[in-house]
Amino acid sequence: MARVHLRYYALLREQAGRQAETVETAAQTPEALYAELATRHGFRLAQSQLKVAVNASFTDWTCALADGDEVVFIPPVAGG
Amino acid sequence: MNAFEFTHEPIEPAALSAALADPAAGGFAAFEGRVRNQNDGRVVSRLEYEAFEELAQGEGERIVAEALRRHGALRARCVHRLGALAVGEVAVWVGVAAAHRAEAFAACRQIIDEIKHRLPIWKKEHFADGDSGWVNCTHCAEAARVPDFDYSRQLVLPEIGTAGQQRLAQSTVIVIGAGGLGCAVLSGLAGAGIGTIVIVDDDVVDPANLHRQPLYTPDDVGRQKAGAAAARLAAYNPTIRLRPMPVRLTAANAKEIVVLGDVVVDCSDNFATKFLVNDAAVLSGRPAVLASVYQYEGQLQVVRADARGSCLRCQWPEATRDGLVGNCTESGVLPPVPAVLGSLQAMEVLKLLLDLPGQLRDEVLLVDLLELGQRRLSAPRARECNDRCARIRSVDAAAPTPELEIALPLAEAAAQGYRIIDIRNPEECAQSPLALGGHESIPLPRLLDAASTLDPRLRYLLVCAHGIRSRAAAEQLRAGGSGNVWSLQGGLARQG
Ligand SMILES: [Zn+2]
Repeated sequence: MARVHLRYYALLREQAGRQAETVETAAQTPEALYAELATRHGFRLAQSQLKVAVNASFTDWTCALADGDEVVFIPPVAGG
Repeated sequence: MNAFEFTHEPIEPAALSAALADPAAGGFAAFEGRVRNQNDGRVVSRLEYEAFEELAQGEGERIVAEALRRHGALRARCVHRLGALAVGEVAVWVGVAAAHRAEAFAACRQIIDEIKHRLPIWKKEHFADGDSGWVNCTHCAEAARVPDFDYSRQLVLPEIGTAGQQRLAQSTVIVIGAGGLGCAVLSGLAGAGIGTIVIVDDDVVDPANLHRQPLYTPDDVGRQKAGAAAARLAAYNPTIRLRPMPVRLTAANAKEIVVLGDVVVDCSDNFATKFLVNDAAVLSGRPAVLASVYQYEGQLQVVRADARGSCLRCQWPEATRDGLVGNCTESGVLPPVPAVLGSLQAMEVLKLLLDLPGQLRDEVLLVDLLELGQRRLSAPRARECNDRCARIRSVDAAAPTPELEIALPLAEAAAQGYRIIDIRNPEECAQSPLALGGHESIPLPRLLDAASTLDPRLRYLLVCAHGIRSRAAAEQLRAGGSGNVWSLQGGLARQG
């Protein structure tokens, strides 16, 4: 189990009803983590519509998560 | 009787005023421009006016029509004298009849100011000492009003100075979109003294824009944003040039427009335009400063195609489709949010032009104005990019796909062999179930993630409430290689 810190932006913040949280997870990758969170919070955005950053760097969905990582899921936004 | 006319005969104000009589007009304002006996301290004996009449005629009529429309006046006319005039004679006459005095004064003022600025008219001054000279009236109008714009508070910054100010004055910046972000970007750049600012926006001012777009007033409602913003900024800083372009940025004109500037700033409010700006900037090697806002948050990215930097597609290889994120309803915004992000964009433009330290590069800045937090995420160039981002095929790739939508009663579509997929979310389906039978129900996110399970031998018709999400989903699936997907035009709402 890893303890990861999460930040939510835009639609994800609305759907999660919070800006941040820390979770204990068995997920090994951001992909698995998002699937887990999508079920818990009812996220409606597909993973393919999002980007993920781990520890302040954009990364791919299959990188290995480690204890203490900060994970940010970023939806695209277009308002002007 | 033309609204604008040239005459070689003396102007007779009384007759002109009488011709504008209107029983509905509670106010009438007139202006007479007369020949003065001196200019720049020299005694003037007489004047000659000359015009490029073919060009000036149409432009003069446009000026009068614009003033009538803008101020809601009833009738207006302007007559300009040409040829030789003596001191004291009337050179130009403007009259406006309106329901109330305010509109009459305002329209009259606008007409004479625009005539002075826009019409190709020259005057030859004959001085008492026998000397004479031609002056272009648009120049003398500007010269008469010595621009009192003082940059001393930024010149004093050690990183700027006269050399930096000169660099700004020689720069051209293209701003795509004159909305919430655009107003902040434009004000910041105009104040800093960017020599030429091109404003690209084909939209008109809507009352709902005003709360976050302070370059416009209620009087501007219905006017083209590009022109209204340019006029406002020209009045604010008369030392810079403004070029309004009331056109929509498209795949056909994007590159031509982007190469006009040293930097392009994306202040648009839709993904299609953002990707178009990104692609055109990368293909023409121009830096681009992009931003977007969502409720209380914003994202900022500087694309340095001129310096082998990463671009929007390095993170988002497929252009995100409008309609996929959020939904068919507006998400809402408070005025300071685009103002903050737009100011950050203007700051990045200045940092770039002045070569200041700390520039955002190969990064995305996330700003959250509720918790006052910001994050600078590293966003590297995609691995496969060599000379330029390999994920850009051509600017035209952003053009809409033809025949994406089908307008048919659903039962008939099913009879023609389309597999119907209801992509609405479960709550929507429960509330108004699709009474068809034989269809599948796959909520949009699940469908996008399961694109590879679509059978390439079948034809799929996606259905949602209003046809917006289904169209976006079909576009995205096609971009991903599924050519056998269509969208039901207008959605279930149009099925009756
Ligand atoms: Zn790229």
